[in-house]
Parts: sequence; structure tokens; C-alpha cells
Amino acid sequence: MKAQLLNLFNISKAYPGVQALKEVDFDLRHGEVHFLLGENGAGKSTLMKILSGSVQKDTGIIQMDGKEIEIISPQDAVKQKIAMVYQELSLFPNLSVGENVLAGMLPVKKGSHLVDWKEINRKTKEILDELGLDISPTTPVADLGVGTRQLIEIGKAISRQAKVLLLDEPTSALSVHEIEKLYSIVEKLLQKGIGIVYVSHKLSEIPRIANRVTVLRDGHKIGTIDADQATESDLIRMMVGREVSEKYPKDKVKIGKTLLNVTGLTLGKRVKNVSFHIKKGEIVGIFGLMGSGRTSLARALFGLENCIDMNVSIGGNTTKINNPKDAIKAGLGYITEERKMGLVLRMAIAYNITFPILKKILRFGMIDHKSERKTSLSCIEKLHIVTPHMMRLVENLSGGNQQKVALGRWMCNESKVLILDEPTRGIDVGAKVSVYKLIGQLAKEGAGILLISSELPEVMGISDRILVMSKGELVAEFTREEADSDIIMTHAVGGKVSEGGRLI
Amino acid sequence: MSNPIVRNIPIIELLKERKSSVMNFAGPLLGLSILVVLLSIFTPYFWNSANLLNVGRQAATNIIIAAGMTLVIFTGGIDLSVGSVMALAASVSIVAITHFGVNLWLGILICLAVGALCGLLNGLVITKGRVPDFIATLGMMSFARGLALLVTDGMPIPYFGIAVRPMPKEIIAFGAGHILGIPTPFFIALVVILITWFVSKNTRTGRHFFAVGGNKEAARVSGISVEKTKLTAYMFSGLFAGVAGIVLAGRLNSANAHMGSGAELDAIASVVMGGANLFGGEGALGGTLVGGVTIAVLNNGLNLLAVSPFWQEVAMGAVVVAVVIFDQWRRRRFLIK
Repeated sequence: MKAQLLNLFNISKAYPGVQALKEVDFDLRHGEVHFLLGENGAGKSTLMKILSGSVQKDTGIIQMDGKEIEIISPQDAVKQKIAMVYQELSLFPNLSVGENVLAGMLPVKKGSHLVDWKEINRKTKEILDELGLDISPTTPVADLGVGTRQLIEIGKAISRQAKVLLLDEPTSALSVHEIEKLYSIVEKLLQKGIGIVYVSHKLSEIPRIANRVTVLRDGHKIGTIDADQATESDLIRMMVGREVSEKYPKDKVKIGKTLLNVTGLTLGKRVKNVSFHIKKGEIVGIFGLMGSGRTSLARALFGLENCIDMNVSIGGNTTKINNPKDAIKAGLGYITEERKMGLVLRMAIAYNITFPILKKILRFGMIDHKSERKTSLSCIEKLHIVTPHMMRLVENLSGGNQQKVALGRWMCNESKVLILDEPTRGIDVGAKVSVYKLIGQLAKEGAGILLISSELPEVMGISDRILVMSKGELVAEFTREEADSDIIMTHAVGGKVSEGGRLI
Repeated sequence: MSNPIVRNIPIIELLKERKSSVMNFAGPLLGLSILVVLLSIFTPYFWNSANLLNVGRQAATNIIIAAGMTLVIFTGGIDLSVGSVMALAASVSIVAITHFGVNLWLGILICLAVGALCGLLNGLVITKGRVPDFIATLGMMSFARGLALLVTDGMPIPYFGIAVRPMPKEIIAFGAGHILGIPTPFFIALVVILITWFVSKNTRTGRHFFAVGGNKEAARVSGISVEKTKLTAYMFSGLFAGVAGIVLAGRLNSANAHMGSGAELDAIASVVMGGANLFGGEGALGGTLVGGVTIAVLNNGLNLLAVSPFWQEVAMGAVVVAVVIFDQWRRRRFLIK
């Protein structure tokens, strides 16, 4: 058996309203890939963040090679040779590959403070060769595809002699070809005795690269098993802990006539000539990978982007949407991908709910505080927002309840079409179910829903129709019955090498 | 309504919820009290009605300017031009009245209009020109001061020999008069604070100030026009600088291009002392009032203690930065989990 590298005991971490981790044990050996599995909100990211020093554990002990260590800042993690490869990349696109790989430790010429460019290029070349990447150290990172950038990040970690590598969804934006490249790099690193914590949603990756798998659910550790003994069905049961039908509640809703019709939506190179429609009571899911243009589509439709080209009709009337105000007036509602982007956190629930409808509760040009309270209250009750009172600051609510506030805003506004961008990201499973139920309820009340998500099970679970986006285009459409996860995924990755395909 | 969520929000819950705001308010009030007690002990001249009324008079212009500054800071902005705008507005208006014989009330209207116009210009440069707030208003600071010098030719107005009439007594009354024994300027400051408070509390625009400062993106997504909101805040700031200009000209019995230099610092200090978040989205007008009075008491105290004016300037600069440091520390310590 390989020697122990990292031991975590009894790690707990609470955020306001959420117990993100509860007494979790975890360990990593030299030269192994330890797969960390769990749904969104299970606590994987929190565990990674604790190890990389960007958040601090409440309780628990971390040992490295048997010695207890403290990680209270990202600098500590670097000192302990723990390197995190971020999902959202942390490279400087305007600088060269070499400057990025050696950022923060650029070599200088002897006896001076002048940067030694030759040394940078030599060192970087060494690392790139080790990774099997045929890229010049002087290439600007901006010129590289997403996939290659991720590999550069790994190079950065190696240049810091990392012993522990934390990979967060490393393959989510990669093409098949790039994924193979990544795997071969991972194998090389393992031979050097580096331990890798690997977070991914894709169960199919486990037999390929994992040694062991640990499953988290709702902040608890469910178990650790050897990868070769792990069957997919076992893992799913461990992850979900309940039946899928309970997870994605879906009522039969009568679907009416067309509510929203969009044709020729184009936004530069990000969204190309997209046309679709949504009917009354219908939930239309849009699935796409990172960078597929799904969020740009939503933002464009809601008037948040410039230079949009599109024809929109709502309820049969052609509508011009130049800004969010127009969109709201036309009956659209939008829940942003980042919850924080849509809510004013340091403001009361009541005020957050009534933003778009302040006009309706004016009396003699003044805000009618009584009617504002009434509106907010009915909203809070309807959505079962858990709060002692409506003046609570939104930041003191749990993620799920925050999301309900965001939803509530549009329910009060009686929006006809709701655009929901990743409505369940970062909230726990129970809260997800209630958000799904709310979405169902909205549909039942006659709203049309555009659900944008990167979680395929979610899209397949609650949509009536599924559209697949890839590279800014709508590439496929399925009815609920036709939907098949493998086929959808193939369409989503473009069926071939994806955009990151600059990789050589 | 019988629902507990609405019926009675227990005050203690609200206090807990608004822990920061309570501290915002209690803190400055406590600071002011300590300052008052210390001054009462250390100088016999502080605690008597003549001096206290004088403090009220001195505090007035700063409080008026700080009211507008509060709105700007709510939106996450900052207005460095208030002192210069005050000088320009007062200069233009007093020149018009005393040198050109313009009707008094028309002259006052001109003063307010010049202030509001400068504010509008600030707002346009920031929103349409996409210039950072502090650069735009820094530019205006120099721009308006220069115009004021041009208008007055660097002379105190009304300038003997050119003036067709002396400073109207009404304007002197605004700056130096009394109502029921209390200085008129302090009354004006209270009215300005009240109006601003009312606007921030009860109008859509008022709510939008907080939204834009709290989360610009969220405001946009909610259909709030960020540009219009910022524009309005800067116009208020300019308008109130104009009001302060009239009051100060009345008090000084003259307008000149150099009046109000450094006023932006006092105003910003008052707002931050009052507990507003320099990064926007939070604060209260009551706090600004307390902050404004504190600054005036501090100035007065240093005068009474016969501290040299040079050292006073040093002290004020240090106090302002210290307040912001303390404010930042407090936010990190108590607010960020």
C-alpha cells in the first residue's frame, strides 16, 4: 500500500444557514487519485477550498505526512505544497505561458532585480515538456483554448513542486482529445508520487483514473470505496440517497399556446442565430457545457447585452427588448447564474422582492410601505421562505432561501416567461427539490420556463423539452421522452473535438 | 394582519438584524458624547450656549453638503467636487446679484441651478463617459474652482467699486440669522437632512440608491436604470453644494473663489462617521447628521484649545483616515463571516 500523504479528521464547516461539512474524514495517499463525488452542495467544493486555504475550517485536523498542519490562507496551502487547479481559471490571459507558469517566482538575473527571460523560457519549457505540451513559453495565454489553459494551470502547480494537486471538475470544459491528454499527465504525476484529489460529476471517469472514491452528501461523508469495487449504481445510491423521482418532482401540466417566440437571436460570436419558442405551462431546458453560450443567450434575451440581433414576440406581440426594463415590461423574469448577481445581499428580503414592482406600490409618488409589506409577505408565504421576519437581510438566509427570494421577485411581478440560469447551483438537495416544485408550480400557473443548466439530470428531470447548445448554436432538440443522456452529451461536446481543440 | 412576520417584528430582532446599523448609530453618538464631555472638562469655553450655537452654525454648511454626499455614497460613488461647486455656485450667484443687480430670488435660483448642473455634469461624465467616480469629480473639482476664479476675478464678492448693491440682507440672514434663538443655517441643514431622509426612505429613486450601491448588477437585472440613479444622486450632491454656497456666503457676508476648499473631506468624513459604507449600499441620514456635528465640535474644540490652524489641518486629515480605517476594521471584524 502506498504511504499516507494527507489525513483529514473531523472537518466541519458551517456557512450561515448551511452546514457545508459535518465531521468529515478524508485521506490521500502518495501517487493516488482520490475521486471526490457528490451532488452540487454536497460539500466537495468546501473541502477543496479548505485544503487550498480560501476558506477556513471550523473544526478538525489536517495532517500532512503525519504532521499536523494549519492552512488558514492560500499562502499556507502553497507553502504546504498543496495546489489547486481552479475550474474558473486563475491565469493572466495577457501574459505569456512562461510568466503564468512561474507567476510569483519569476527568476531574476544574479545580483539584480531584472527578470531573467532566458531562465523563464528554459524552466517553462522543461515543465511543458514534462507535461507533453508542445507550446512555446512565450505564447500569450489569451491565444490558448480553455483546455490547454487548464493544463497550463497544472504546469503552474508542478513548478511549485506541489505534493497535493486539487483538480476541480478538470474535464468539464475539455474535448475528448484533451481529456485523454489530461489523463496521461495525471498518470505521469502519480508516478512522481503526487497525490491528486479529483472532483468530478462524471462517474465514467472513475474506472479510468481513480484509485479510491469518497462520496459526500449534504456535508456528510457517506463512504470511501476502492474504485475497482465501485459500481455505478452503488455510487449513485450513495450520492443521491433517495429515488430520482423524488429528486425531480414533476407534475403533469397542461401545455397551452405559444407564449414566447424567439427567432434569429445572435450575439457576436457567442450566440449564433438561435430560434426557439416556449409554450404556456411548458418547461424548456437548455443544456450546454461551459462556454456554449447558454448564459449569453439568457442575458441577451433579457436585454443585458449590447449589439443583440433578435426578433422576440411574447403572447403573439412583437416586442423590442433593449434593456432589462423592456424585458420586465414585456413579462420576462430572469434569475442570474450567480445568485449574488441578482440579489442585494445586504438588504431586507422585503426590499429585494419588491424591486421590479415598486412602481405598482406607489401612492402619491411615495412608496406605500404597508402595501410593500403585504406583497412581500404573500410572497414569503407562497414560497415558504424560511425566515423569522421579512426584514431579515438576504445575506443571512441559506442558499436555498436566497434563491427563493430571487424567484419570489418574479412571481410577484407575475412574469409570463421566466429565464432561470442555474437555479439550483450551490444549494443543498432538499432546497433543490423545493425549487423544482416552485418551478413546477409556476408552470402550472401558466408561466413559460426557460431552464438553463449544466446539470444534465436536472434538465432531463424537470423539462418538457430539451434544447442542446454547443458553440453558440442550438444543435439538437429532444422531447422529454426522447431524451437520452449520452446522446445529449455527444451533441453538447459538438460530437467531436471542442473549442479547446487548439491543443496539439 | 395577524401574521407574525408582519405584525410585530420584535425590535430586538431588528436590532440584531441591523447590528451594523445600530453600531453605526450608537458608535458615532458615543464618540460625539465623549468628545463633548472631554471638551467640557478641558476648556471652560466649550459648554456655554453662545459657543454651542456657534458650533451649530459652523456645522451647517458641512451637514448640508454631507447630505448630498450621503446619497452619492449610497450609490457607491464619491463626490470630490462639492467644495469647488459650492464656491462656483455662490460666486456666480452673488456676482449676479450684487454686480449685475439680478433679483435676489432669481439669484438664489441661479446658485441652485449652477450646483445641480455641475452635479449633472459629474453624473454624465461618470455614466456616459464611463469615467471612475473619483476621477470625474476630481476633474470637476479643478474645473469648477477655475470657473469660480474666472467669475470673481479672484476677488471677494461683492467687490467694492464694481458692486451695484451690497450683499442682500436676506442672504446674510440665511447664513448669520436666528430663528427662535437657533442659528438659521442649522435649521436649513436640518431641513435638508429631513428632505434627503424622506427621499431615501419613501421614494423609488431613494430605494434605487441603495440597490445600485449594494449590487449594481442586481439593480440592472431588476430593471433599475443604474445611470439614471447615479445621475440623480450626483445632482442632489451638486444642488446641496449650491444650498451650502448661499448659506456660507451669507455667513461670510461675501462669496469668493476659495470658499469651501477641503469641504469634500469634511463631508466624506461626516458620512463615514455616520456609519455609511464607503463602498455603497448602506447608511442613514441620521448618522450623517451626527457625523457632521462631530466634525464641527472637533473643529471648535481644537480652536478653543488654541491648537494652531496648521496642526488642525493635520489633525483633521488624520481623523478622517482613522475613521475610515476603523470603519473597515469593524466591517471585517463584525460583518464578514
